[in-house]
Amino acid sequence: MDGVATERRVVGRRLPRLDGAGKVTGRMVYAADFALPGMLHGKVLRSPLPHARIRRLDVAAARAMAGVRGIVTAADVPAVRYGTAVRDTPVFATDRVLFQGQAVAAVAATTPEIAEAACRAIALELDPLPAVFDAEAALAPDAPLLHPDWASYAALPVLAREGNIAARARMRHGDVEAAFASAHRIYEHRFATPLQHPGYTEPRAAVAAWEGDGRLTVWCNTQLPFDMQAVLAEILDIPSGRVRVVVPGIGGGFGGKLRVGVEHYAALLARRTGRPVKVMTTTEEELTAAYPRQATTITLRTAVDREGRLLARQGRVLLECGAFANSGPGSAAICMQILVGPYRTPALDLESLAVYTNRVAAGSFRAPAGPMANFAVESQMDIIAEDLGMDPLDLRLRNVVREGDLGPAGEALAGVSVAECLERAAEAIGWRERRPAPNRGKGLACSWWMTTGGSSGVFVRLAPDGTATLVSGAVEIGTGALTGAAQVLAEELGLELEDVRVAGADTRDAPFDYGAQGSRTAFSVGNAARVAAAELRRQLCALAARRTGLPQEAFRLERRAVVGGGHRIPIADLARESQLSGGGLIAHGTYINPAPPYDPTRVENHPLPVFNAPSFHAHAVDLSVDPGTGEVTIHDYVVAQDVGFAINPTWIEGQIEGGVAQGIGEALSEEIVYREGRVLNANLTDYKMPTAQDVPRVRSILVECPSAAGPYGAKGVGEPPCIEPPAAIANAIAAATGRRVFSLPMTAEKIVLGEGG
Amino acid sequence: MRLDFTLNGEAVAVEVPPDWTLLQVLRRELGLLGTKENCLEAECGVCSVLLDGRVVNACILLAAQCQGRSVTTIEGLGDPERLHPIQQAFLDHGAVQCGYCIPGMVLAAKSWLDENPGRLPGEDEIREALAGTLCRCTGYQKIVDAVAAAAAALAKG
Repeated sequence: MDGVATERRVVGRRLPRLDGAGKVTGRMVYAADFALPGMLHGKVLRSPLPHARIRRLDVAAARAMAGVRGIVTAADVPAVRYGTAVRDTPVFATDRVLFQGQAVAAVAATTPEIAEAACRAIALELDPLPAVFDAEAALAPDAPLLHPDWASYAALPVLAREGNIAARARMRHGDVEAAFASAHRIYEHRFATPLQHPGYTEPRAAVAAWEGDGRLTVWCNTQLPFDMQAVLAEILDIPSGRVRVVVPGIGGGFGGKLRVGVEHYAALLARRTGRPVKVMTTTEEELTAAYPRQATTITLRTAVDREGRLLARQGRVLLECGAFANSGPGSAAICMQILVGPYRTPALDLESLAVYTNRVAAGSFRAPAGPMANFAVESQMDIIAEDLGMDPLDLRLRNVVREGDLGPAGEALAGVSVAECLERAAEAIGWRERRPAPNRGKGLACSWWMTTGGSSGVFVRLAPDGTATLVSGAVEIGTGALTGAAQVLAEELGLELEDVRVAGADTRDAPFDYGAQGSRTAFSVGNAARVAAAELRRQLCALAARRTGLPQEAFRLERRAVVGGGHRIPIADLARESQLSGGGLIAHGTYINPAPPYDPTRVENHPLPVFNAPSFHAHAVDLSVDPGTGEVTIHDYVVAQDVGFAINPTWIEGQIEGGVAQGIGEALSEEIVYREGRVLNANLTDYKMPTAQDVPRVRSILVECPSAAGPYGAKGVGEPPCIEPPAAIANAIAAATGRRVFSLPMTAEKIVLGEGG
Repeated sequence: MRLDFTLNGEAVAVEVPPDWTLLQVLRRELGLLGTKENCLEAECGVCSVLLDGRVVNACILLAAQCQGRSVTTIEGLGDPERLHPIQQAFLDHGAVQCGYCIPGMVLAAKSWLDENPGRLPGEDEIREALAGTLCRCTGYQKIVDAVAAAAAALAKG
C-alpha cells in the first residue's frame, strides 16, 4: 500500500488497553459516578400490575413532600411514541399499563431516598385487565390486544404487522414439500428459551442538564450516543442539534444499553425542575424493566437422506417482544439465519413472528436471537446424528457450508471456515473419546454470525509532539475495540500504540458512529482510521517532498518518521511545521461495511436479510453430570473462532472467555422467572449469574480466515462467543446422561427430574 | 452521627446520618467514586473495600460499624503512575474490560493475599476468593491469571 511499511509492528500484538490504568485504579468516571453541582435525584414509579386500566393517578401528596422538586407523568409530556422498529412506546403509561414495570411517573427530589418515598406517596389506582403472558397465547384470535391502535403506529416499511404480531418475516427457497416427501427421516422438535438479563454490573444511569438557551446535555451510559440523541430530541420535541449526549464511561452493556432507559426521565425532570437531575436504575428495576434477551419458542422440522444430508428445513420462531416491539422484529428475523446454521440447506421454509405480550419489553442482548436459535438447530443436529448412528462431528462436516456456497438469502459466502473451526475444536477437546467416563460426555456446536454494518467517521489529528488523537463517536464498551482501532491507526501511521489517544463518545464533538453494537466497532472504526491515516500519510509525504525536493512517492512512514531517499524526518517535526504554517495535520476518515448482494425472492419482510462479513465458530465442551443432583461440572471448554485477523489476541480471548461465561449462565442458571405477569426473582440472589467458581478455564483457538472488508482481514468478534454454549452444553449433557433438555436454562432439576416437573 | 475512622491511612472525621452505609459515606460524603455502586444487597461485590484488611461489601456495612476502624478503598492502593503489584498484574494479563467490577476484584484479591502472605494460591483458592464479586465481561479467567501472577510477584518481594 502507498506509503505504509509492509512489516506489521502494532496490529496482531498483545498490547495493553489504552484505558486500563484509569480503570484499575478506580479513577475512571462512569455514568453512574457522574454528578453536577445542585443535582437532584430522580426515581421512577412503575406499574405493579401486568395489565390494567389507570383509574386514578394523583401526585398532589407526593408533590407536597419536603425535598420534592418536580414530578412528571404522561400528562406533562408530548404524546410521542418512539421505538426502533415500531413507534409503539410512550414515555409514561397513559390510560393503561401494559407490563409490570412500565413507568407511570417520575419524581425529582433533593435525595434519592426522598424521591423514592415520593413515588410511594403517589396515588395510583389500577383496574386489572385480562392479560397474555406467552407468545403462543397472544396469537389466539380472542387474545387481549396489547395495542388496539397498532395500525396507526409508524414502523419500518419492511415490517408486516397485525394485532399482537409486531412483525412477521419469512425465508424460503427450494421445493420443501418434495424434499420432505422424499426424506429418509423427518425430525421435528420444539425448543424454548427464557428472558435473560444482560447482567452489566453498572446500572443504567443518566445525568441531564439544560442550559439557558434550551440546549440539553445528557451524560449517560448508552451504547449508541447518536441514536440516543435522535430519540431524546423526538421525545422532548426539540431539534436534535440541541441535544448533546456524552458517554463518560460505561460499565458493560451487552446490548442492554442500546435503547433509551432512564435518559428521558432525567431530561424531563431536569426541564421540569430547572436543575440537573440524575436517574439511576435499581436492581429491581433492572430485572423488571430493562431490556433482557427475548424469550422464544422455536419449532424446527428437518428432512434428511440416508447419508445424513440435510434435504430441507421448515420451522417457526415465536419471539416474545413483551409490551413493546423494541428490537423484537429484527431479532425474530435473524433467528432464521441462525436456524439455517452454517449448513447447506437445499430447501427452506422458515417463518418468524415477533409477538406482543404483557411482559417486559425485551431487547437485544449480545448476539440477539443467536443462542436461542443455535440451541434449537444444534440440539437437533445431535438428535439426528444419534438417530442415524452417526458421529455428530461427521454429520456436521457432511453438511456445513463451504467457500462460495450460497447463504440463506442466496448471498455468496466468502471466508468460510466452519469446517476448520469444527475440526480444531473437536481435536482440542479429544472428541474421539466422547464418553470418557460414566456420567461424563462431550458436546459440540457451531454457528455463524454477522459483522454488523452501519457507518463510522473519525477525525485523526497529529500533534506537534508526533502523537495522534483518534476522535470517534464510538463507545468503548469494555471490549478493547477502540484499543484495536488505535492499533490499526498506529500501524498505518508508523507510530506505537502508546502514541495514540482515543477521544470522543460525545455527539457534539465527535464524528458519527453507528455505535457499540453488532460486533462492529474494531472493524468499522478501524477501517475509518485506515482511511484517515492514508490521508495523513499523503499530507506528511507532501511536506517531506517539499522539504527535500524529492517526489512524494519516495517516502513512507516508519518508526515515528517519514523515511525515503536517504532522509528520515520525524513526524513530530512535520506536524510542528504544519502547525506553524498550515493549520496542523488533521484528516477525516469514513467507512461503511457493505452488505453483500442477495436474492430478494428468498426473503419476505426481513429487516436484516443478509449477514455482512460473516464469522464462523465452533465450541466443544467436556462435562460431568452428578446423577443424584443433576449438577453440571465443566471440565474443559474449547472455542475455535474465525476472527479473520486477530488485531489483538488478548482482547479477542477476553471476548471469548466472557462470552462463554455468559453462555454458561444462559445454558444452566439464568432466567427472569414470571408468575402471572410478575417477576419472582428481581434480585441478584435469585437471578443467578455465574461467579468465578462457576466458570471453567476456556481455551481459545483463533482461526484466521480473512474477510475481504475488515482491517487486515478482521471479522467481528464480540457477540459470537455467547451463541454456542447452550447448545454445546445441551449436547454434552445428552452424551453424559442420555437425557436431553429442550428448554433453557437446563437446571439441575430439569436434568434429573425431566422438564414436566 | 460523628464518624471517626482511618481511610486509606489517614484519619477522617465526618458527620453523617446514622443509617448511612459505608458506601454512602464514601461516594456521597467523601466523593471517593472508585468504590462502585450496583445491587446494594451484597450480591455483586462491585462495592468491595477492606475493613481492617478484610474484604467487605460497603453497600450493606453500616458506617457506624467502621467507628475507630481502618478502611481501605481502591484509591488507597496505587495511582496510575505507581500501580500496586496487583493492579499492574491486572493490566499485564488483560484482566480489565469495562472495569466496573475491577476495584472490587483488586481488593478481594488483596484481602486474600494479605491474609496468606508468601503463599502461592491454587486456581480454586483464587476463584473462591473472587466469588463474591460478579464480572460479566471477562469470564474471570484473565483475572484469575492476574491474581496468580500478583501472588508470585509479591512472594518474590
